[in-house]
Amino acid sequence: MRSVMVVCVLYPRFELLAALGDRRALLSEPAALAPEAGREQMIGEVSAPAEAFGVVPGMRLGEAMSRCPALRLVPPDPEGVRSLWNAVLDRLEAIGAQVESDRAGAAFFESAGLRGLHGGDLAGVLAAARRALGPGARLGAAPCRFAAHAAALQARPRRRQSVVVEERAARDFLAPLPVSLLRTRPELQALPEVFERLGIRTLGEVAALPSRAVAERFGHPGLLALDLARGRDTALEPRRPPEPVAERLELPEAASGQQLERALELLVARVLARRERRGRSLRALAVSARFVAGGTWRAAVTLRQASADPERIRLVLGPRLAELPAPAESLGLEVEAFGPPAHDQGRLLDEAAEVRRGRLGEAVRQARQAAGAEAALKVLDVDPGSRIPERRAVLAPFPD
Amino acid sequence: MRALGTPKPAAVEADERGVPAAVDALAVDSVREEWIVEDRWWTGSPLRRRYFELVLVDGRNVVVFRDLVGGSWFLQRA
Repeated sequence: MRSVMVVCVLYPRFELLAALGDRRALLSEPAALAPEAGREQMIGEVSAPAEAFGVVPGMRLGEAMSRCPALRLVPPDPEGVRSLWNAVLDRLEAIGAQVESDRAGAAFFESAGLRGLHGGDLAGVLAAARRALGPGARLGAAPCRFAAHAAALQARPRRRQSVVVEERAARDFLAPLPVSLLRTRPELQALPEVFERLGIRTLGEVAALPSRAVAERFGHPGLLALDLARGRDTALEPRRPPEPVAERLELPEAASGQQLERALELLVARVLARRERRGRSLRALAVSARFVAGGTWRAAVTLRQASADPERIRLVLGPRLAELPAPAESLGLEVEAFGPPAHDQGRLLDEAAEVRRGRLGEAVRQARQAAGAEAALKVLDVDPGSRIPERRAVLAPFPD
Repeated sequence: MRALGTPKPAAVEADERGVPAAVDALAVDSVREEWIVEDRWWTGSPLRRRYFELVLVDGRNVVVFRDLVGGSWFLQRA
Protein backbone atom coordinates (compact mmCIF):
# COMPACT_ATOMS: atom_id res chain seq x y z
CA MET A 1 0.00 0.00 0.00
CA ARG A 2 1.36 3.43 -0.90
CA SER A 3 1.75 5.69 2.13
CA VAL A 4 -0.02 9.03 2.43
CA MET A 5 2.26 12.05 2.31
CA VAL A 6 0.93 15.54 2.91
CA VAL A 7 2.73 18.50 1.40
CA CYS A 8 2.58 21.86 3.17
CA VAL A 9 3.14 25.12 1.33
CA LEU A 10 3.94 27.93 3.72
CA TYR A 11 4.38 31.65 3.24
CA PRO A 12 5.16 33.18 6.65
CA ARG A 13 3.69 36.67 7.15
CA PHE A 14 1.62 36.36 3.97
CA GLU A 15 -1.04 38.84 5.11
CA LEU A 16 1.57 41.42 6.11
CA LEU A 17 3.44 40.97 2.82
CA ALA A 18 0.21 41.33 0.83
CA ALA A 19 -0.70 44.52 2.69
CA LEU A 20 2.78 45.99 2.20
CA GLY A 21 2.66 45.48 -1.58
CA ASP A 22 5.77 47.11 -3.05
CA ARG A 23 6.82 48.60 0.30
CA ARG A 24 8.47 45.34 1.36
CA ALA A 25 11.47 47.26 2.67
CA LEU A 26 9.33 47.91 5.74
CA LEU A 27 9.84 44.25 6.68
CA SER A 28 13.31 45.17 7.92
CA GLU A 29 11.73 47.57 10.44
CA PRO A 30 9.34 46.89 13.32
CA ALA A 31 5.97 46.70 11.53
CA ALA A 32 2.61 45.06 12.21
CA LEU A 33 -0.78 44.78 10.60
CA ALA A 34 -3.13 47.32 12.17
CA PRO A 35 -6.38 46.03 13.69
CA GLU A 36 -9.16 45.64 11.14
CA ALA A 37 -11.72 48.43 11.21
CA GLY A 38 -14.63 47.70 13.48
CA ARG A 39 -12.98 44.60 14.97
CA GLU A 40 -11.15 44.04 18.25
CA GLN A 41 -8.12 46.29 18.73
CA MET A 42 -5.54 43.54 18.24
CA ILE A 43 -2.64 43.63 15.83
CA GLY A 44 -2.20 41.07 13.04
CA GLU A 45 1.01 39.57 11.65
CA VAL A 46 4.27 41.27 12.66
CA SER A 47 7.71 41.66 11.06
CA ALA A 48 10.79 39.91 12.50
CA PRO A 49 12.25 43.14 13.98
CA ALA A 50 8.92 43.72 15.76
CA GLU A 51 9.09 40.19 17.18
CA ALA A 52 12.48 41.08 18.61
CA PHE A 53 10.69 43.70 20.74
CA GLY A 54 8.32 41.03 22.08
CA VAL A 55 5.44 42.07 19.81
CA VAL A 56 3.41 39.05 18.69
CA PRO A 57 0.30 38.64 16.52
CA GLY A 58 -2.96 38.92 18.47
CA MET A 59 -1.45 41.34 21.01
CA ARG A 60 -3.55 44.34 22.08
CA LEU A 61 -2.60 47.46 20.16
CA GLY A 62 -1.81 49.44 23.33
CA GLU A 63 0.54 46.78 24.65
CA ALA A 64 2.29 46.43 21.28
CA MET A 65 2.87 50.21 21.07
CA SER A 66 4.22 50.35 24.60
CA ARG A 67 6.62 47.48 23.91
CA CYS A 68 7.80 49.03 20.67
CA PRO A 69 6.99 52.76 20.32
CA ALA A 70 8.56 52.81 16.83
CA LEU A 71 6.16 50.11 15.59
CA ARG A 72 4.76 50.99 12.14
CA LEU A 73 1.18 50.00 11.62
CA VAL A 74 0.23 48.79 8.15
CA PRO A 75 -3.45 49.07 7.15
CA PRO A 76 -4.80 45.55 6.53
CA ASP A 77 -5.85 44.61 3.01
CA PRO A 78 -8.24 41.63 3.31
CA GLU A 79 -9.30 42.00 -0.33
CA GLY A 80 -5.70 41.97 -1.58
CA VAL A 81 -4.81 39.00 0.64
CA ARG A 82 -7.78 37.02 -0.61
CA SER A 83 -7.02 37.71 -4.22
CA LEU A 84 -3.27 36.93 -3.92
CA TRP A 85 -3.85 33.77 -1.90
CA ASN A 86 -6.48 32.52 -4.35
CA ALA A 87 -3.88 32.98 -7.10
CA VAL A 88 -1.44 30.79 -5.12
CA LEU A 89 -4.10 28.10 -4.61
CA ASP A 90 -5.03 28.27 -8.31
CA ARG A 91 -1.38 27.65 -9.24
CA LEU A 92 -1.27 24.59 -6.97
CA GLU A 93 -4.52 23.31 -8.43
CA ALA A 94 -3.04 23.79 -11.88
CA ILE A 95 -0.48 21.04 -11.12
CA GLY A 96 -3.38 18.77 -10.12
CA ALA A 97 -3.31 19.27 -6.34
CA GLN A 98 -6.51 19.09 -4.27
CA VAL A 99 -5.74 21.89 -1.87
CA GLU A 100 -6.94 22.50 1.66
CA SER A 101 -6.44 25.97 3.08
CA ASP A 102 -8.15 27.52 6.09
CA ARG A 103 -6.05 30.68 6.19
CA ALA A 104 -3.93 32.68 3.82
CA GLY A 105 -0.28 31.64 4.02
CA ALA A 106 -0.67 27.90 4.58
CA ALA A 107 -1.95 25.26 2.16
CA PHE A 108 -1.88 21.46 2.22
CA PHE A 109 -2.36 18.72 -0.34
CA GLU A 110 -1.77 15.00 -0.59
CA SER A 111 0.98 13.95 -2.95
CA ALA A 112 -0.18 10.40 -3.67
CA GLY A 113 -2.44 11.18 -6.63
CA LEU A 114 0.13 13.50 -8.22
CA ARG A 115 3.15 11.21 -8.36
CA GLY A 116 2.12 9.69 -11.66
CA LEU A 117 1.91 13.18 -13.17
CA HIS A 118 5.23 14.44 -11.88
CA GLY A 119 7.99 11.86 -12.20
CA GLY A 120 6.57 9.06 -10.08
CA ASP A 121 7.89 10.16 -6.70
CA LEU A 122 7.49 12.78 -3.99
CA ALA A 123 10.56 14.72 -5.13
CA GLY A 124 8.91 15.22 -8.54
CA VAL A 125 5.73 16.54 -6.91
CA LEU A 126 7.71 18.96 -4.71
CA ALA A 127 9.69 20.17 -7.72
CA ALA A 128 6.48 20.76 -9.69
CA ALA A 129 4.98 22.71 -6.79
CA ARG A 130 8.14 24.81 -6.49
CA ARG A 131 8.10 25.56 -10.23
CA ALA A 132 4.44 26.58 -10.03
CA LEU A 133 4.92 28.83 -7.00
CA GLY A 134 8.27 30.44 -7.71
CA PRO A 135 10.64 31.65 -4.99
CA GLY A 136 9.54 32.46 -1.46
CA ALA A 137 7.47 29.38 -0.65
CA ARG A 138 8.56 26.98 2.06
CA LEU A 139 7.71 23.36 1.32
CA GLY A 140 7.54 20.49 3.77
CA ALA A 141 6.20 16.94 3.45
CA ALA A 142 5.22 14.47 6.13
CA PRO A 143 2.63 11.75 6.74
CA CYS A 144 0.14 14.20 8.29
CA ARG A 145 -0.85 17.86 8.11
CA PHE A 146 0.63 18.94 11.45
CA ALA A 147 4.02 17.32 10.84
CA ALA A 148 4.10 18.72 7.29
CA HIS A 149 3.49 22.20 8.70
CA ALA A 150 6.34 21.73 11.20
CA ALA A 151 8.58 20.50 8.36
CA ALA A 152 7.74 23.51 6.18
CA LEU A 153 8.64 25.84 9.07
CA GLN A 154 12.14 24.34 9.01
CA ALA A 155 12.56 24.67 5.24
CA ARG A 156 14.74 27.52 4.02
CA PRO A 157 13.29 29.13 0.89
CA ARG A 158 16.58 30.69 -0.24
CA ARG A 159 18.19 27.25 -0.47
CA ARG A 160 15.09 26.02 -2.30
CA GLN A 161 15.18 22.86 -0.25
CA SER A 162 12.15 21.08 1.09
CA VAL A 163 12.09 19.20 4.39
CA VAL A 164 10.69 15.69 4.05
CA VAL A 165 9.73 13.57 7.06
CA GLU A 166 9.36 9.86 6.32
CA GLU A 167 6.29 7.98 7.48
CA ARG A 168 7.81 6.18 10.46
CA ALA A 169 9.88 9.18 11.52
CA ALA A 170 7.05 11.69 12.15
CA ARG A 171 6.82 11.17 15.91
CA ASP A 172 10.60 11.37 16.37
CA PHE A 173 10.75 14.46 14.16
CA LEU A 174 8.10 16.23 16.24
CA ALA A 175 9.45 15.13 19.65
CA PRO A 176 12.06 17.89 20.23
CA LEU A 177 9.83 20.70 18.88
CA PRO A 178 8.22 23.15 21.32
CA VAL A 179 4.58 22.81 22.39
CA SER A 180 3.96 26.34 21.08
CA LEU A 181 3.76 24.71 17.63
CA LEU A 182 0.29 23.49 18.61
CA ARG A 183 -0.88 27.11 18.19
CA THR A 184 -0.87 26.54 14.44
CA ARG A 185 -4.26 24.89 15.08
CA PRO A 186 -6.90 27.54 15.93
CA GLU A 187 -8.72 25.18 18.32
CA LEU A 188 -5.55 24.70 20.41
CA GLN A 189 -4.61 28.37 20.93
CA ALA A 190 -4.80 28.24 24.73
CA LEU A 191 -3.32 24.77 25.33
CA PRO A 192 0.45 25.41 24.93
CA GLU A 193 0.43 27.97 27.74
CA VAL A 194 -1.20 25.44 30.08
CA PHE A 195 1.30 22.75 29.08
CA GLU A 196 4.19 25.14 29.71
CA ARG A 197 2.82 26.04 33.14
CA LEU A 198 2.79 22.33 33.93
CA GLY A 199 6.43 22.01 32.82
CA ILE A 200 5.63 20.23 29.54
CA ARG A 201 7.78 22.00 26.97
CA THR A 202 8.16 19.67 23.98
CA LEU A 203 5.81 17.70 21.78
CA GLY A 204 7.72 14.55 22.81
CA GLU A 205 6.71 15.16 26.41
CA VAL A 206 3.09 15.64 25.30
CA ALA A 207 3.22 12.40 23.25
CA ALA A 208 4.42 10.50 26.31
CA LEU A 209 1.40 11.48 28.43
CA PRO A 210 -1.19 8.74 29.05
CA SER A 211 -4.31 9.25 26.89
CA ARG A 212 -6.74 8.69 29.74
CA ALA A 213 -5.18 11.35 31.95
CA VAL A 214 -5.06 13.83 29.04
CA ALA A 215 -8.73 13.19 28.22
CA GLU A 216 -9.72 13.74 31.83
CA ARG A 217 -7.71 16.93 32.31
CA PHE A 218 -7.98 18.62 28.89
CA GLY A 219 -10.96 16.99 27.13
CA HIS A 220 -11.14 16.97 23.32
CA PRO A 221 -8.47 19.66 22.73
CA GLY A 222 -6.04 17.58 24.83
CA LEU A 223 -6.72 14.44 22.82
CA LEU A 224 -6.24 16.34 19.57
CA ALA A 225 -2.90 17.70 20.87
CA LEU A 226 -1.90 14.15 21.84
CA ASP A 227 -2.73 12.83 18.36
CA LEU A 228 -0.78 15.65 16.70
CA ALA A 229 2.24 15.14 18.94
CA ARG A 230 2.20 11.43 18.09
CA GLY A 231 2.25 12.20 14.37
CA ARG A 232 -1.43 11.63 13.66
CA ASP A 233 -3.89 14.14 12.25
CA THR A 234 -7.35 14.32 10.69
CA ALA A 235 -7.77 13.82 6.93
CA LEU A 236 -7.45 16.83 4.63
CA GLU A 237 -10.61 18.54 3.43
CA PRO A 238 -9.76 20.08 0.05
CA ARG A 239 -11.57 23.23 -0.95
CA ARG A 240 -14.34 23.03 -3.51
CA PRO A 241 -13.47 24.59 -6.85
CA PRO A 242 -14.49 28.24 -6.50
CA GLU A 243 -17.13 29.80 -8.72
CA PRO A 244 -16.14 33.44 -8.68
CA VAL A 245 -19.23 35.59 -9.02
CA ALA A 246 -18.31 39.10 -7.99
CA GLU A 247 -19.27 42.62 -8.96
CA ARG A 248 -17.49 45.86 -8.13
CA LEU A 249 -18.64 49.42 -8.53
CA GLU A 250 -16.32 52.42 -8.62
CA LEU A 251 -17.84 55.28 -6.67
CA PRO A 252 -17.40 58.67 -8.37
CA GLU A 253 -16.75 60.45 -5.10
CA ALA A 254 -16.30 59.38 -1.51
CA ALA A 255 -19.78 57.99 -0.98
CA SER A 256 -21.66 57.34 2.20
CA GLY A 257 -25.20 56.86 3.53
CA GLN A 258 -27.88 56.77 0.88
CA GLN A 259 -25.40 56.73 -2.02
CA LEU A 260 -23.82 53.57 -0.62
CA GLU A 261 -27.24 51.96 -0.27
CA ARG A 262 -27.97 52.78 -3.92
CA ALA A 263 -24.63 51.27 -4.93
CA LEU A 264 -25.43 48.13 -2.95
CA GLU A 265 -28.83 47.90 -4.63
CA LEU A 266 -27.14 48.01 -8.01
CA LEU A 267 -24.54 45.41 -7.00
CA VAL A 268 -27.21 43.01 -5.75
CA ALA A 269 -29.12 43.38 -9.01
CA ARG A 270 -25.95 42.75 -11.04
CA VAL A 271 -24.96 39.65 -9.03
CA LEU A 272 -28.46 38.21 -9.34
CA ALA A 273 -28.35 38.81 -13.09
CA ARG A 274 -25.09 36.88 -13.59
CA ARG A 275 -25.48 33.83 -15.83
CA GLU A 276 -23.21 31.74 -13.58
CA ARG A 277 -25.94 31.83 -10.93
CA ARG A 278 -28.07 29.49 -13.08
CA GLY A 279 -31.23 30.14 -11.05
CA ARG A 280 -29.62 29.24 -7.73
CA SER A 281 -30.32 31.18 -4.55
CA LEU A 282 -27.51 32.84 -2.59
CA ARG A 283 -26.44 31.42 0.77
CA ALA A 284 -23.37 33.50 1.71
CA LEU A 285 -22.06 36.82 0.41
CA ALA A 286 -19.21 39.16 1.16
CA VAL A 287 -19.41 42.90 0.82
CA SER A 288 -16.10 44.72 0.47
CA ALA A 289 -14.80 48.24 0.03
CA ARG A 290 -11.60 49.94 -1.03
CA PHE A 291 -10.90 53.14 0.87
CA VAL A 292 -9.93 56.48 -0.58
CA ALA A 293 -7.03 56.67 1.87
CA GLY A 294 -5.80 53.12 1.05
CA GLY A 295 -6.57 49.77 2.61
CA THR A 296 -9.61 47.57 2.18
CA TRP A 297 -12.49 46.19 4.22
CA ARG A 298 -14.49 43.01 3.88
CA ALA A 299 -17.48 41.60 5.76
CA ALA A 300 -18.92 38.14 5.11
CA VAL A 301 -22.63 37.52 5.67
CA THR A 302 -24.47 34.20 5.68
CA LEU A 303 -28.18 34.45 4.99
CA ARG A 304 -30.50 32.78 7.50
CA GLN A 305 -32.33 31.30 4.54
CA ALA A 306 -30.82 31.06 1.06
CA SER A 307 -32.55 33.62 -1.11
CA ALA A 308 -32.62 35.21 -4.53
CA ASP A 309 -34.90 38.02 -3.40
CA PRO A 310 -33.05 41.34 -3.93
CA GLU A 311 -35.08 43.09 -1.23
CA ARG A 312 -34.25 40.48 1.38
CA ILE A 313 -30.55 40.44 0.43
CA ARG A 314 -30.38 44.24 0.65
CA LEU A 315 -32.03 44.16 4.07
CA VAL A 316 -29.34 41.79 5.34
CA LEU A 317 -26.36 43.55 3.78
CA GLY A 318 -27.52 47.14 4.35
CA PRO A 319 -26.61 47.37 8.06
CA ARG A 320 -23.08 46.18 7.27
CA LEU A 321 -22.46 49.35 5.27
CA ALA A 322 -22.83 51.32 8.49
CA GLU A 323 -19.68 49.57 9.75
CA LEU A 324 -17.53 51.13 7.03
CA PRO A 325 -14.88 53.07 8.94
CA ALA A 326 -13.80 55.47 6.17
CA PRO A 327 -15.00 56.89 2.84
CA ALA A 328 -14.94 54.24 0.11
CA GLU A 329 -13.80 54.67 -3.47
CA SER A 330 -15.29 51.36 -4.59
CA LEU A 331 -17.78 48.84 -3.30
CA GLY A 332 -17.81 45.13 -4.14
CA LEU A 333 -20.14 42.19 -3.66
CA GLU A 334 -19.08 38.56 -4.01
CA VAL A 335 -21.03 35.31 -3.73
CA GLU A 336 -19.24 33.02 -1.27
CA ALA A 337 -21.73 30.15 -1.41
CA PHE A 338 -24.78 29.31 -3.46
CA GLY A 339 -27.93 27.73 -2.06
CA PRO A 340 -30.39 25.46 -3.84
CA PRO A 341 -32.29 26.77 -6.85
CA ALA A 342 -34.81 29.39 -5.71
CA HIS A 343 -37.69 27.13 -4.73
CA ASP A 344 -39.78 29.02 -2.17
CA GLN A 345 -42.78 29.94 -4.28
CA GLY A 346 -45.20 32.62 -3.22
CA ARG A 347 -48.50 31.37 -1.84
CA LEU A 348 -51.65 31.71 -3.86
CA LEU A 349 -53.84 32.13 -0.76
CA ASP A 350 -53.05 34.08 2.34
CA GLU A 351 -52.43 31.31 4.86
CA ALA A 352 -51.06 33.40 7.69
CA ALA A 353 -51.21 30.65 10.32
CA GLU A 354 -49.42 28.19 8.06
CA VAL A 355 -46.72 30.75 7.24
CA ARG A 356 -46.30 31.54 10.93
CA ARG A 357 -45.98 27.85 11.78
CA GLY A 358 -43.40 27.39 9.03
CA ARG A 359 -41.33 30.32 10.30
CA LEU A 360 -41.54 29.12 13.87
CA GLY A 361 -40.39 25.64 12.79
CA GLU A 362 -37.43 27.15 10.94
CA ALA A 363 -36.52 29.25 13.98
CA VAL A 364 -36.67 26.16 16.22
CA ARG A 365 -34.43 24.19 13.86
CA GLN A 366 -31.88 27.01 13.77
CA ALA A 367 -31.93 27.46 17.55
CA ARG A 368 -31.28 23.71 17.96
CA GLN A 369 -28.48 23.85 15.42
CA ALA A 370 -26.81 26.63 17.38
CA ALA A 371 -27.51 25.66 20.98
CA GLY A 372 -28.24 21.94 21.02
CA ALA A 373 -31.29 19.71 21.15
CA GLU A 374 -32.68 21.30 24.33
CA ALA A 375 -32.69 24.84 22.91
CA ALA A 376 -36.43 24.83 22.25
CA LEU A 377 -38.76 23.09 24.69
CA LYS A 378 -42.46 23.41 25.49
CA VAL A 379 -44.32 23.00 28.77
CA LEU A 380 -46.58 19.97 28.67
CA ASP A 381 -49.33 19.71 31.29
CA VAL A 382 -49.36 16.19 32.71
CA ASP A 383 -51.55 16.45 35.81
CA PRO A 384 -52.37 20.15 36.28
CA GLY A 385 -54.53 19.54 39.38
CA SER A 386 -51.95 17.49 41.29
CA ARG A 387 -51.28 18.49 44.89
CA ILE A 388 -47.59 17.70 44.25
CA PRO A 389 -46.14 20.53 42.14
CA GLU A 390 -43.44 18.53 40.32
CA ARG A 391 -46.12 16.21 38.90
CA ARG A 392 -48.11 18.96 37.21
CA ALA A 393 -45.99 19.66 34.12
CA VAL A 394 -42.89 18.52 32.21
CA LEU A 395 -40.63 20.12 29.61
CA ALA A 396 -40.91 18.35 26.27
CA PRO A 397 -39.13 18.98 22.91
CA PHE A 398 -40.87 21.68 20.87
CA PRO A 399 -42.21 20.12 17.66
CA ASP A 400 -40.64 21.77 14.60
CA MET B 1 -38.65 15.06 29.19
CA ARG B 2 -37.90 16.92 32.41
CA ALA B 3 -40.27 17.62 35.33
CA LEU B 4 -40.92 21.29 36.08
CA GLY B 5 -40.98 22.69 39.61
CA THR B 6 -38.79 20.01 41.16
CA PRO B 7 -37.86 20.76 44.81
CA LYS B 8 -34.47 22.31 45.54
CA PRO B 9 -32.69 21.89 48.89
CA ALA B 10 -32.93 25.02 51.07
CA ALA B 11 -31.33 26.20 54.30
CA VAL B 12 -34.31 26.82 56.60
CA GLU B 13 -34.18 27.70 60.29
CA ALA B 14 -37.34 26.68 62.12
CA ASP B 15 -38.62 27.57 65.57
CA GLU B 16 -39.60 25.08 68.26
CA ARG B 17 -43.03 24.57 66.60
CA GLY B 18 -41.38 23.64 63.29
CA VAL B 19 -42.44 26.92 61.60
CA PRO B 20 -39.73 28.53 59.39
CA ALA B 21 -38.03 31.59 60.91
CA ALA B 22 -35.45 32.18 58.13
CA VAL B 23 -34.86 30.88 54.59
CA ASP B 24 -31.34 31.03 53.13
CA ALA B 25 -30.36 33.46 55.94
CA LEU B 26 -33.30 35.80 55.20
CA ALA B 27 -35.78 36.26 58.05
CA VAL B 28 -39.43 35.30 57.54
CA ASP B 29 -41.77 38.27 57.79
CA SER B 30 -45.03 36.31 57.87
CA VAL B 31 -46.52 32.89 57.18
CA ARG B 32 -49.32 33.21 54.65
CA GLU B 33 -50.46 29.63 54.50
CA GLU B 34 -49.62 26.18 55.78
CA TRP B 35 -50.76 22.76 54.56
CA ILE B 36 -49.80 19.12 54.61
CA VAL B 37 -49.61 16.78 51.61
CA GLU B 38 -49.67 13.04 52.17
CA ASP B 39 -49.54 10.72 49.18
CA ARG B 40 -48.51 7.19 48.23
CA TRP B 41 -48.97 6.12 51.82
CA TRP B 42 -50.02 2.76 50.45
CA THR B 43 -46.57 2.21 48.86
CA GLY B 44 -43.13 1.51 50.30
CA SER B 45 -42.01 5.09 49.55
CA PRO B 46 -44.68 7.34 51.03
CA LEU B 47 -44.61 11.12 50.50
CA ARG B 48 -45.30 13.38 53.51
CA ARG B 49 -44.63 17.08 53.27
CA ARG B 50 -45.48 20.07 55.45
CA TYR B 51 -45.73 23.11 53.17
CA PHE B 52 -45.42 26.79 54.15
CA GLU B 53 -46.08 29.80 51.97
CA LEU B 54 -43.92 32.57 53.38
CA VAL B 55 -43.21 36.26 52.88
CA LEU B 56 -39.54 37.07 53.49
CA VAL B 57 -38.17 40.39 54.79
CA ASP B 58 -37.05 41.35 51.28
CA GLY B 59 -40.67 41.08 50.08
CA ARG B 60 -40.34 37.77 48.21
CA ASN B 61 -43.06 35.14 48.34
CA VAL B 62 -41.60 31.63 48.62
CA VAL B 63 -42.95 28.15 49.23
CA VAL B 64 -40.90 25.73 51.32
CA PHE B 65 -41.69 22.31 52.69
CA ARG B 66 -40.22 19.96 55.23
CA ASP B 67 -39.98 16.37 54.10
CA LEU B 68 -41.55 14.62 57.08
CA VAL B 69 -39.99 11.31 56.02
CA GLY B 70 -36.37 12.45 55.53
CA GLY B 71 -36.46 15.61 57.66
CA SER B 72 -34.87 17.95 55.06
CA TRP B 73 -36.16 21.35 53.89
CA PHE B 74 -36.82 22.24 50.25
CA LEU B 75 -37.81 25.29 48.18
CA GLN B 76 -40.45 24.72 45.55
CA ARG B 77 -42.46 26.72 43.05
CA ALA B 78 -46.00 25.73 43.95
